[in-house]
Amino acid sequence: MLQPIADGITYLMAQSGESLLRLFWFVAIFEFPRYTLSFLSVAAILFYPKGRQQPFLGRVTILIAGHNEEAKIERCVLALREQSRRPDEIIVVSDGSADRMPEKLRDLQDAGLITEGHSTQVRSGKSAALNLALFRATGDIVIVVDCDCTFDRHALRDILEPFADPRVGAVAGNIVVRNAHRNLITAFQAIEYLISISQGKQASDLTDQVSCISGAFGAFRRNALQGVGGYDAGGGEDLDVTLSLRKAGWKTVFAPDALCYTDVPEKLSVLIRQRFRWERDAVHLRYRKHSELLNPFSPRFRLRELLHELDFLVFNLGSAVFFPIYIVWLFATFGDLGLIILLGAQAGMLVLDAVAFALAALVTPRIDAARLLPYVPGYSFFNGFLMRFVRLGAYLEEWIFEASYRDTYVPQKVHRARR
Amino acid sequence: MTTATPAQIQSDASPRVARRILVAEDSPTTHEILKLLLSQRGHQVDIATDGEQALEALRRNRYDVALLDFHLPKMDGLQVASTIRHEAVDRLVPKMIAITLDAEGLLAHPEGCHNFDHVLPKPLDIYQVAQVVEEQAEIADMEAADSTPQAAPNISVVAPRPRSPFEDLGYNFLTWPGDIEDGQLSARAMQASLGDPRFDGILIKAPISLEELGAIWRTKALYMLPIVDLTGSLGAFADIDASKLTARDTTFLDKTLSEYHDRRTHLHRDLRFSTDLGEQLVGRMFISGRALKPSYDPHSKWLVSYNVALGAALAAREAEALCERGLLRREFFDRFHVCPRCDSLRLHVREECRQCHSSHLEEEQYLHHFRCAYQGPEREFRRGDRLVCPKCRYELTHFGFDYDRPGSMVVCDACGHAASEPAVGFVCLDCGGHVDSEVAPPRDVYIYHLTEQGIGFAEHGHSLLGTATHALRFADLPLELVVALNAAAKGYNETQRPFTLISIYYRNEKEIIAQQGARAFTKVRDLFIENLRTSLTDDADLIVKGHSQDFVLIAGSDPDETKADFDLLVVSAENSLRYDIGAVFQVFGPGDFA
Repeated sequence: MLQPIADGITYLMAQSGESLLRLFWFVAIFEFPRYTLSFLSVAAILFYPKGRQQPFLGRVTILIAGHNEEAKIERCVLALREQSRRPDEIIVVSDGSADRMPEKLRDLQDAGLITEGHSTQVRSGKSAALNLALFRATGDIVIVVDCDCTFDRHALRDILEPFADPRVGAVAGNIVVRNAHRNLITAFQAIEYLISISQGKQASDLTDQVSCISGAFGAFRRNALQGVGGYDAGGGEDLDVTLSLRKAGWKTVFAPDALCYTDVPEKLSVLIRQRFRWERDAVHLRYRKHSELLNPFSPRFRLRELLHELDFLVFNLGSAVFFPIYIVWLFATFGDLGLIILLGAQAGMLVLDAVAFALAALVTPRIDAARLLPYVPGYSFFNGFLMRFVRLGAYLEEWIFEASYRDTYVPQKVHRARR
Repeated sequence: MTTATPAQIQSDASPRVARRILVAEDSPTTHEILKLLLSQRGHQVDIATDGEQALEALRRNRYDVALLDFHLPKMDGLQVASTIRHEAVDRLVPKMIAITLDAEGLLAHPEGCHNFDHVLPKPLDIYQVAQVVEEQAEIADMEAADSTPQAAPNISVVAPRPRSPFEDLGYNFLTWPGDIEDGQLSARAMQASLGDPRFDGILIKAPISLEELGAIWRTKALYMLPIVDLTGSLGAFADIDASKLTARDTTFLDKTLSEYHDRRTHLHRDLRFSTDLGEQLVGRMFISGRALKPSYDPHSKWLVSYNVALGAALAAREAEALCERGLLRREFFDRFHVCPRCDSLRLHVREECRQCHSSHLEEEQYLHHFRCAYQGPEREFRRGDRLVCPKCRYELTHFGFDYDRPGSMVVCDACGHAASEPAVGFVCLDCGGHVDSEVAPPRDVYIYHLTEQGIGFAEHGHSLLGTATHALRFADLPLELVVALNAAAKGYNETQRPFTLISIYYRNEKEIIAQQGARAFTKVRDLFIENLRTSLTDDADLIVKGHSQDFVLIAGSDPDETKADFDLLVVSAENSLRYDIGAVFQVFGPGDFA
């Protein structure tokens, strides 16, 4: 039984460099370059650490939009008030909540914990709710947070720091998984967040490629946000508004020290539904709504936007689309040996992931990565196979069925008007 | 005008001046005890045993006060009084006080009211006798000192103000102003303060403040009189609002005044002359036959006024204390909020800004444009009669498809703060302070009703409550008993011969009266006393019936020994009765009279 594996290893060992590349072309094209970029960026981060800047002196408004968040809103507000840099204003909008959230907001307001609480009677969607809050905001900077997030004590101070640069229009916070040790699924996501956000966005930041200010924790210059009309209708509003801000010429950056903790899905089914939503929104926004960023003849075409567009095109879309093709090719060409080659590719991926994990842990020392280490091999498989197929499913669904127009995260009345 | 301050009226018990007094009384026991009592206080007392003797004495001597028993042999007290008044045209007439069992009958007599200055009902209260006699003498002094001698032989005072038609209806009213004014009382008012039953009420002829009306509570017995308000300004404080009555509504007036009158005679002496405001309140409620009821009154800091001439806070405080004692019970009336700073209930309720408490609020509806997710106030969309999205410049035409109205906010014009709903707050109209609705404590205002116990207290005084059970009150003792007790005490002092006084009170009195009627109770009580009398072997023992208690005086026996025996006597005396009378007795010995 072990004979084929031994044969396979013998076969792989016998290959020359060129023929190896021919066998592992998928990894070479879709995986290796990205990891290489990461290694370079980590080196850059380590060799050129950012100096501390002056604390931000302007007025800061927190915007929170929630739907049926009665249970979570108070903890979130209390966590914000525990910040070393206190927010000057907190505006909460209950978006058509059917629970007791409106009463809760009134109590919080009477207790002086929030500045204003508004409650709509019917659901308008997150974008509209944030727009209402934005309309009431008076701060120079508005920080959008999610109800189910909690924050590091200095998160606000750190996310405000980059605004010392007047070109900066928006700053993304660092999202960390709070329930990492709940089960395998959450542990894998914790590793994924660590690599793709905590380290990945630092890399993007070096090259001015931060293309999504996460809706969980992001800060905006208020006149910049209002300048692009606030949030637009539809899902993926965080990516949407970031692309709009970049088109308007604002710099978007990442604040790795501004830690925001959030719970990720604990069930695979929930996770898959979440990723379907994210990926189809991304496809919709990049290739429908903001498609001119890819069109060299559009007046809005910019070279700096091309990089993150290509990044997404190659490493997300391309890798998802070509992976099944690669597998089919492998088995068609090598027969039984294909499985061995695939395992070999996975072994190589595991090494790359382990190195990526180590580097991510290195550049984000405030996250306790050691406890996640045992999950790295599982993560490599989970991310390399399962999530790749999930992404592919989402892209196909969006491409063929325009599923983002039926998303229940956005009220039906909005979908209808959006077409 | 003849006036005296209340302080003067409440003079101490010791007389300042020795008076010459005539006592016309046919019962030897009564005139003996009266002579003893009055001469002990330094007065000179003459005795007349029939009407002719009394008339003779009055013609011959000059007396300050004459106590005339209404029923005298040969010539009754009323005849004596009217004869003297007729004869004495410009001569000073002594103050004449009637003593009678039938005070009502005397008052009903056409001549009765005019000829006597005061009426003392029998059985006599020996302390009251001395007090009335001395105060009547003082009144006489004041009248004599007055520069204009009174032409009228009776007690009316000429009021310098225009008379009201109500004063000519034949009622005997005290008037304000006139009799009670600026804390000063006329002779008539002083007369009424002695509990004289001939007065019908207090006539209010000019607007009066609650503080000024306070005099009726500070002066004994005046509080019992119904307040007849001619001005209409007293509102619920008055018992009868006469401003709305015409002179022809006499049946109503008659009925009301006589009802007050009837209940006044049933009010126990303890309450009649009480100086305790709480007890006065019970008496007042008993006499008026009305619950202590609040009504809305914007002039009061408490927003309510009770139907007595007292400030609401004071009335409620006293009533609460009486509730504690079980004399009143509460009924919910309304709940108010109180200014925590100045205790006022006059709060202006308003919707206001949660931030700056301004009431200058505007409600703004906001629109949601589905297409671009813009959500903001309607005014931002307004272009004449069109609605145009300020973000994407699309015109909104189709409600429910282009846009909707998901909610509204309340924007403060003073500070710009907005909220989904306004706060409710109060502004105190008295101190001007602002109060959050959560901070203003609520206060409940009640209607108060007399409980059974309260009514019992009004009718039977302290004895019912047991507050006086251990102190024997001489005022409660019948004269006959006082005489016998005096003799027994004298005997004890001289020969160490002990005696025992037993007072008996009937626990089930009210119950029997309520179920079987007063007559039935009297019969049972009589039978009980009769049974007791036959079982007491010694003829020297004395049984005296009192007002609400009966007494047994056993000469020559030690109190402690008597107690056990008497218990058996009471049980056997109760045995043959139709109803359980619930006799409760207390034993007193010579030691209690030291």
